[in-house]
Amino acid sequence: MGNLLEIELKQETLIASAQENTVGNFLSGAQAMMECLLAEGVDNIFGYPGGAIMPTYDALYDYIDRIKHTLVRHEQGAGHAAQGYARVSGRTGVCLVTSGPGGTNLITPIADAIIDCTPLVCIVGQVKSTLLGTDAFQETDMIGVTTPVCKWNYQITDPDEVPEIMAKAFFIAKSGKPGPVVIDFARDAQAAKMTKAFSYKKVEKMVSYNPRVVPKQEQIEKAAELINKAKRPYILFGHGVLIADAMQELLDFVEKTDIPCASTLLGLSAMPNNHPNYMGWLGMHGMYAPNVMTDECDVLIAIGMRFDDRVTGDSTKFAPQARIVHIEIDPSEVEKIKKTEAPVIGDAKEALKMLFPLVKKGDFTGWKNEFRKLDVKEYDKVTLRDLNQEGKIKMAEVVALLSDKTNGEACIVVDVGQHQMVTARYYQFRKPNSFIASGGLGTMGFAIPASFGAKVGAPDREVVGIIGDGCFQMTIQELGTIAQSGLAVKMIILNNNFLGMVRQWQQLFFDNRYSFVELQNPDFITIAKGFGIDGHTCSERENLSDSLDKMLDSKKAYLLEVIVEKEENVFPMVPAGTSVSEIRLE
Amino acid sequence: MTTYTICVFTENSIGLLNKITIIFTRRRINIESLTVSETERKGISRFTIVIKHEKREEVEKLVRQIRKIIEVLAVFGYLNEDIVYNEIALFKISTPLNGKSVDVETINKIYKAWVVYWGLDYVVIEKTGTETEIFDFFKYIKPHGIIEFVRSGRVAVGKTPQGLIEYLPEEITEWEYYL
Repeated sequence: MGNLLEIELKQETLIASAQENTVGNFLSGAQAMMECLLAEGVDNIFGYPGGAIMPTYDALYDYIDRIKHTLVRHEQGAGHAAQGYARVSGRTGVCLVTSGPGGTNLITPIADAIIDCTPLVCIVGQVKSTLLGTDAFQETDMIGVTTPVCKWNYQITDPDEVPEIMAKAFFIAKSGKPGPVVIDFARDAQAAKMTKAFSYKKVEKMVSYNPRVVPKQEQIEKAAELINKAKRPYILFGHGVLIADAMQELLDFVEKTDIPCASTLLGLSAMPNNHPNYMGWLGMHGMYAPNVMTDECDVLIAIGMRFDDRVTGDSTKFAPQARIVHIEIDPSEVEKIKKTEAPVIGDAKEALKMLFPLVKKGDFTGWKNEFRKLDVKEYDKVTLRDLNQEGKIKMAEVVALLSDKTNGEACIVVDVGQHQMVTARYYQFRKPNSFIASGGLGTMGFAIPASFGAKVGAPDREVVGIIGDGCFQMTIQELGTIAQSGLAVKMIILNNNFLGMVRQWQQLFFDNRYSFVELQNPDFITIAKGFGIDGHTCSERENLSDSLDKMLDSKKAYLLEVIVEKEENVFPMVPAGTSVSEIRLE
Repeated sequence: MTTYTICVFTENSIGLLNKITIIFTRRRINIESLTVSETERKGISRFTIVIKHEKREEVEKLVRQIRKIIEVLAVFGYLNEDIVYNEIALFKISTPLNGKSVDVETINKIYKAWVVYWGLDYVVIEKTGTETEIFDFFKYIKPHGIIEFVRSGRVAVGKTPQGLIEYLPEEITEWEYYL
């Protein structure tokens, strides 16, 4: 952020450094913050400096060999990059920004992280504690502003508080249902010395916050009884499986019981797509069989998912016949949407481990075949049309081809809209933590910074951002971050010159009245080149395969723009607020 | 509409009131009254929040959402029959020289209210009781001319023999919330 107080700040720094020589050897609040990050094993942070966070950036300067900092181009980019990093690596993402606009620019990623359960620690500068509440330069009440959208927040006004608060912050962010924590760090607390020697003790439990990890035995037994009695059981698993690292436990459970299962959007890649019990994913634009069969099952086993309205449609008509087992770490999610007969409060990994010996071996071949019969219908009505190779290139064929070329092993980061749904439908995931999307909040502009963050979190993996032309322009400046980092982030723009999903709705539900959805786009490749990122445009089907190869073979960041069919619709579709039985295939 | 009394035990920290009330705002539930004070255990605050709601399940969800706030130690939801509860009201009543004098005996014996301050041409009467009792007294005293009237939020204790604070952990124990 631009800084009008630079001269004053410099003087303060001089005074501070003069004091250093006379006062004892205790660390400053800012130095203590760096030590806390090291103690928590943080090796990458994403941020943007400014007036109220300068003492911390000054301290960081002595730690740059141990804590790698990425300078983003906008604080929103820092937040989404930290999310991408956290989602791919399972670690806590850390952002460092200044007060006022620095903090408010971070609100969207914080809101995104709370709804998608992403562990973040956001360190936000704040004006000197003596200036709090005076409308000082770049002062925003970050505690007030972030309270509704974060898991926890705290204002540090005394350097001695830093170790204890940061230990709590990292514990709260990562444990239970993960989420974003905001630390509002007053400038004088950054600059002032602690009055005691720095010591750091990791927090593992708190009196007021102690999420249950291991479920109660009686809940497990009740769930097992219900599962064992089921004639047509059906598993819906979500993001919780990935967060709990319960992929193997889920596979073991499914293979023993032979229960068919489906994923939510954010649960994608928790189970390999080619597993015989995997039926696809469900939701508004999910697959036909997984959606429709929610009306046919007798026992629904929900694992690490929360019956979001994009999954259930009209929740009163969602699986009304089913008895529900709900494995969930957050007690407030149980019965929030659906009456639950057997709630299991705890971590998905622990719950599945405990359930495993109690459930009996099963064979549900006949029941699974009912799913497969519906798949044929979807293939005929939707998939064939999406992949028919007629007319302009369609989004689906780009994703399907990318899936083949990467053997389903790339980490795919998507933005929000039609391209997101098509990617979820046509990429054949083989590896976990491979689908990174803004699911709950639906934040356009997520993918460029999140792809970058994912590449930082998994430098050895192929990371491909699949992005719409509208989304791309929301955080286009982060191309600069990618270029400066030198990381080989691959990006594909599926360009239809429309805000495609809104256009689809206007076509289907608003009588073709296209209200402000057509875009006059810039020359994306020229822009990328201006930032120092190579790329090219592909508009002909015969060049598509070579174009993808060229992008994947690049050792540096690369942007491939694919011009796709302008007015293609995504099906199946469960119109908002209706039941899954009203699903449309065309 | 049913009246629910929600008791929230929390650590005593800045900004917590906002974190709690924002949950009511988000669910569009109006707070009828709210009282906060420190409990018999130091550093632990007790919120007593009264709401009216048609659906018990929604109140249960609300209770679970409040429990989710990091600094919250425990939440209990009650129906009126489960608790002993009271409010306190102060009435500033006009007593001009030639006016009708207040009947202290009726006030004391019938209404269990007390004159706590004698001014030159007014008195302050304190009345403790339920909302209904306070409004009964309000109706009685109104003809004298009420200069000022103020009523506190509800405070309540459960009818169970143990204190709620016994549910709070000395250290770490398993938590339950009741409704």
